[in-house]
Amino acid sequence: MEIHHYGDWSSQINQRVVNQRIPIIGTIELTSRCNLRCIHCYNTKTSGDQHSQRGEELTYNEHCRILDEATESGCLWACYTGGEIFTRPDFLEIYTYAKRRGVLITLFTNGTLITPRIADLLAEWRPFSIEITLYGRTKETYEQITGIIGSYEKCMQGIQLLMDRGLPLKLKTVVLTANKHEIGDMKQFAEKDLELEFRFDTMINPGRDCSKEPLAFRLSPQQVVEMDLMDSKRLSEWNGFCEQFNGPISSEQNNGLYHCGGGIKSFSIDPYGQMGICLLLAKERYDLRVGSFKEGWENVLIKVRREQNERHTKCTACQIKAMCGMCPANGWLENCDKEEPVDFLCRVAHLRAHAFGFTVPPHGECEFCESGIRYEELMCSFEQLSHCA
Amino acid sequence: MVISSKCVTKSDDLAIRDIAGETIIVPVKNNVGDLNSIYTLNEIGTFVWRLIDGATSITQIVNAICEEYDVQSEEAEKDVVTLTSSLEAAGLVRSPE
Repeated sequence: MEIHHYGDWSSQINQRVVNQRIPIIGTIELTSRCNLRCIHCYNTKTSGDQHSQRGEELTYNEHCRILDEATESGCLWACYTGGEIFTRPDFLEIYTYAKRRGVLITLFTNGTLITPRIADLLAEWRPFSIEITLYGRTKETYEQITGIIGSYEKCMQGIQLLMDRGLPLKLKTVVLTANKHEIGDMKQFAEKDLELEFRFDTMINPGRDCSKEPLAFRLSPQQVVEMDLMDSKRLSEWNGFCEQFNGPISSEQNNGLYHCGGGIKSFSIDPYGQMGICLLLAKERYDLRVGSFKEGWENVLIKVRREQNERHTKCTACQIKAMCGMCPANGWLENCDKEEPVDFLCRVAHLRAHAFGFTVPPHGECEFCESGIRYEELMCSFEQLSHCA
Repeated sequence: MVISSKCVTKSDDLAIRDIAGETIIVPVKNNVGDLNSIYTLNEIGTFVWRLIDGATSITQIVNAICEEYDVQSEEAEKDVVTLTSSLEAAGLVRSPE
């Protein structure tokens, strides 16, 4: 027998399964319902929609059948997310079933529905990881975002219950205009006071129905890059990532629509049994209620994954893709077109490149490149960033 | 070396996964193994694991290996004892009380 350090083994097997196209990573959205009403959320369902939404969700038995098939095909890691996972009264049954199947499970939760009974069960059936999103360091900011009075205290209580049991907890946040001023305090709270891992994301998406309301709370591109620069760990990770992935695009990369692990080693399942490459892309799905996981993975997701770009855009030959979040899902949500470049992302990527000292080779007609019509505007933001730094 | 008549039993709280040609032992409950580590078995390790049932002795496992593979019993015994000791130390199997 060999005992491997988890991180080393994980990177090694992740490399290996790509060649064999094994669905080793799954994201399973158990429900779209949530007990919070976050201002920026891309989901629109609430826990009050019990009858209209709950009835359509996969049942416990359906989840078990899908898990059996997914593990048979090689699924080792699963992330259970929502909505809020604990709004499902049968969540713990689904969870322990998956544990017995030998799945390494990550839970995404807002933490507000965690009770001593839930925490005890998680301590007995220990997850691989639990990630709680913290929306603010103060009650005012937190509840301004979640829209629910008392949710801050419940979140703090949830964190404490998990910490008391020594569970593998991490905190994270999404940075919005409404909580940007508390990021430093949240980081301090997580890393120094609680000694937990903490990370933040500055990207928020339009609604699943492509509605633009959540974007009212998105940071400006300049603020996004400011956040990168203010965190030394984040900056160093960005630099390493860019060194590795920025650069000339191969013809295979050039033509393929997808560049992530979706359909190669990962899959997603929505609350109603629709299997796809990504939870954010509600297109080209396979209905697991009418067919098997294997059929969906081997005959449908592979075709989605092999889709080619249908036209040439400024993204096609772009060499700073690693600094951008452009993908078919983002193109679809922002522009209702999987290939249409997203203006916000393009601006962030160019600003990042200047801030991190990467050159941007010409890549077609781009407004943010040296001869483009918005280059001057971009450089103005860059100068302001330099002053901040 | 005296070939052992000892039998070991697998912990109840494990799952075995075969992924990408590798056999992985996944601890399911808190009191088994170390969740920061991953336990994998090679071909012979997997062969041994399948024979561990609380009733088959180390001697019988060694004999089974010698029948299946071109290996001397002393070498097989050494390997089986090393493997079962590692499994026991990791809490993945237990000896009779």
